[in-house]
Amino acid sequence: MFHAYGAAMSDEAESDALQRKIIHIDMDAFFASVEQRDHPELRGKPVAVGGSSKRGVVAAASYEARKFGVKSAMPSVTAQRRCPDLIFVKHRFEVYREVSRQIREIFAEHTDLIEPLSLDEAYLDVTDDKQDIGSATLIAEAIRARIREVTRLTASAGVSYNKFIAKIASDQNKPDGICVIPPRHGPAFVASLPVRRFHGVGPRTGEKMARLGIETGADLAGKNEQWLCEKFGSWGGYLYLAARGIDHREVKPNRIRKSIGGERTYGEDKWTEAELREALDAVVDIVWERIEKNEARGRTVTLKMKFADFVQITRARSLDRWVKDKREFSEIGHVLLGDQIPVEKGVRLMGITLSALEGVDDEEGEDEVEETTPVQPAFEF
Amino acid sequence: MKATIERATLLKSLSHVQSVVERRNTIPILSNVLIEAGEDGSLRFMATDLDLQIVETMSASAVETAGSITVSAHTLFEIARKLPEGSEVLLDAADGKMLVKAGRSRFSLPTLPRDDFPMIAEGDLPTSFELPAAELVNLIEKTRFAISTEETRYYLNGIFLHVADDDDRAVLKAAATDGHRLARVTLDRPDGADGMPDVIVPRKCVAELHKLLGERGDKNVLIDLSASKIRFTMGSAILTSKLIDGTFPDYSRVIPTGNDKLLKIDPKALQASVDRVATIASEKTRAVKMALDTDKITLSVTSPENGTAAEEVSGDYKSDGFEIGFNARYLLDILAEVASDSVELHLADASAPTLIRENEKSEALYVLMPMRV
Repeated sequence: MFHAYGAAMSDEAESDALQRKIIHIDMDAFFASVEQRDHPELRGKPVAVGGSSKRGVVAAASYEARKFGVKSAMPSVTAQRRCPDLIFVKHRFEVYREVSRQIREIFAEHTDLIEPLSLDEAYLDVTDDKQDIGSATLIAEAIRARIREVTRLTASAGVSYNKFIAKIASDQNKPDGICVIPPRHGPAFVASLPVRRFHGVGPRTGEKMARLGIETGADLAGKNEQWLCEKFGSWGGYLYLAARGIDHREVKPNRIRKSIGGERTYGEDKWTEAELREALDAVVDIVWERIEKNEARGRTVTLKMKFADFVQITRARSLDRWVKDKREFSEIGHVLLGDQIPVEKGVRLMGITLSALEGVDDEEGEDEVEETTPVQPAFEF
Repeated sequence: MKATIERATLLKSLSHVQSVVERRNTIPILSNVLIEAGEDGSLRFMATDLDLQIVETMSASAVETAGSITVSAHTLFEIARKLPEGSEVLLDAADGKMLVKAGRSRFSLPTLPRDDFPMIAEGDLPTSFELPAAELVNLIEKTRFAISTEETRYYLNGIFLHVADDDDRAVLKAAATDGHRLARVTLDRPDGADGMPDVIVPRKCVAELHKLLGERGDKNVLIDLSASKIRFTMGSAILTSKLIDGTFPDYSRVIPTGNDKLLKIDPKALQASVDRVATIASEKTRAVKMALDTDKITLSVTSPENGTAAEEVSGDYKSDGFEIGFNARYLLDILAEVASDSVELHLADASAPTLIRENEKSEALYVLMPMRV
């Protein structure tokens, strides 16, 4: 562990009342690390969480697997080719969610301004921290130490004055690292970055930038806004500010959940009624568990099906009261499924969702209140 | 720069250029119109959003001092709009301000230097041909409603123009689709269009062009283009646009050729019926069911919230009866473009694309994906 640029940001950040202190916390190889923690025989080995079947994708890869070029979202088949010794383990989302809950409790000891990006990643605004520690660097270190103590897992932190830089910084000294970018170093830090590290710059944009002679943040900062807008459209405005280390987005806590659902993609397309009903039961089991865990109540059940030709349909049914229990939830799902049987095309994915949830604005819930909705299919170009 | 121009001339010109200017701009100069007064007594107005540029040249009543300046397009337009009819407007730029004077009104507007005003580099425009304005208007009106507004499929956000040979007939085709419906117009290929690259003309350019064409009557429009830019010259106005950099899908694959169920019907009657029953349809889906029987079409809508509607329309139909659903809005958009007293719907089944056209000779053709209702 070391501090990039050495300085803690508290000294000068406090001199400027408007300066915010943002921490981005990111667990290291989260799913894979949880598996290695709970299964000692996997430690030090290349591990991928996800299905090894034909259509599976890697949800997370351990650092040992990453050395072979295994990445998340990579098809399992490709991952296995890159790393023949790769060990696939089934995901255990209940466990990951539990850990996620633990780390959010730790964040909440310092601030209520927590914006989770996923189970293992969040932005914290610690400008006014609850414990009056004052230094964002010290808070980040306290959080990292506490995460290690409570979960026996490591996290990396990026500390800076806005979300854009904090997020890049958390990646800087991974794993188990911290990187602090104080305001006076922000522009220089951004200038030194390869453009590919900018949020939103993928391989294609990266290539386009390279053709235009832009390799680093400094190259980007050398262009005026008008030029950037000419080359990159409305996105130019973002790039112009980002290249100067400016990002005014706020940390937005507590997004209101509008629905709870889940879906499954199948290795082999499903055709028969027995197969489809069995598959729906399996999804219902998973989704109902999530509903119970969230102590949610809702009025609308939506069934989603994707066919072999990737055409997707959703069918919904709403009640004028809460769906009462798992049996009713499952029954509605089966009625909606029954309307589609016999299927004309194989089914490659099925999902079920509960929405019009309690506590969500009725106006928004209203969108869901529609009987079996007619569907407008599209051309197959 | 110091020049006088008639209010009506100024207003007409500004109404053209100001609609190219985006309402909200992060780059200040893009809110401005460039005004150039020439020694020859001309006044040139120019506006751009970096993708689309318009230049319009008018005669001034008098040019005292030639020169150029930029001022807010919307402000100047609003001023011109509110000035009394028949007034002579003095535009006098000096010391970072432009004075606008007419009758007893005086305005002083902030300016930005003309050198900062961006111009679209046209480059070489090797293809050049002419089309009568009326024909171009027709082409736009029969296709533009199908242009997609979905930004992720940016290559569908315009009208696709390409040349082809249909059974030895050299043609120019224009097509637009949003993935649910397709509209295509086929014209005789104009001289000079041979070998032109396939291009996608963006929606905003189409809309501005359509406005300008309305005032052109039967006169010709000169079209110059390359693979990346297109320029329309309409008398005093020149519209230049970047083209959409993408590949338009092979749309011919969705045009059905074997649909064997034919319905011939009066488009006005069908349009009115669809419109009536659609009153009940939910705002979101607009689904209308069409039950076909021998020479009898029954349109119906069932909505859980709004109730039901049904109406019979007579038409010429001899095939087996069946039911099919359509988005009422899509159907109305198409029917509105059919001018004759008969339209053909070529159907296959409830889930296959339906072909709609006046007859086999009509230059416009539409394909509509049915809805599952």
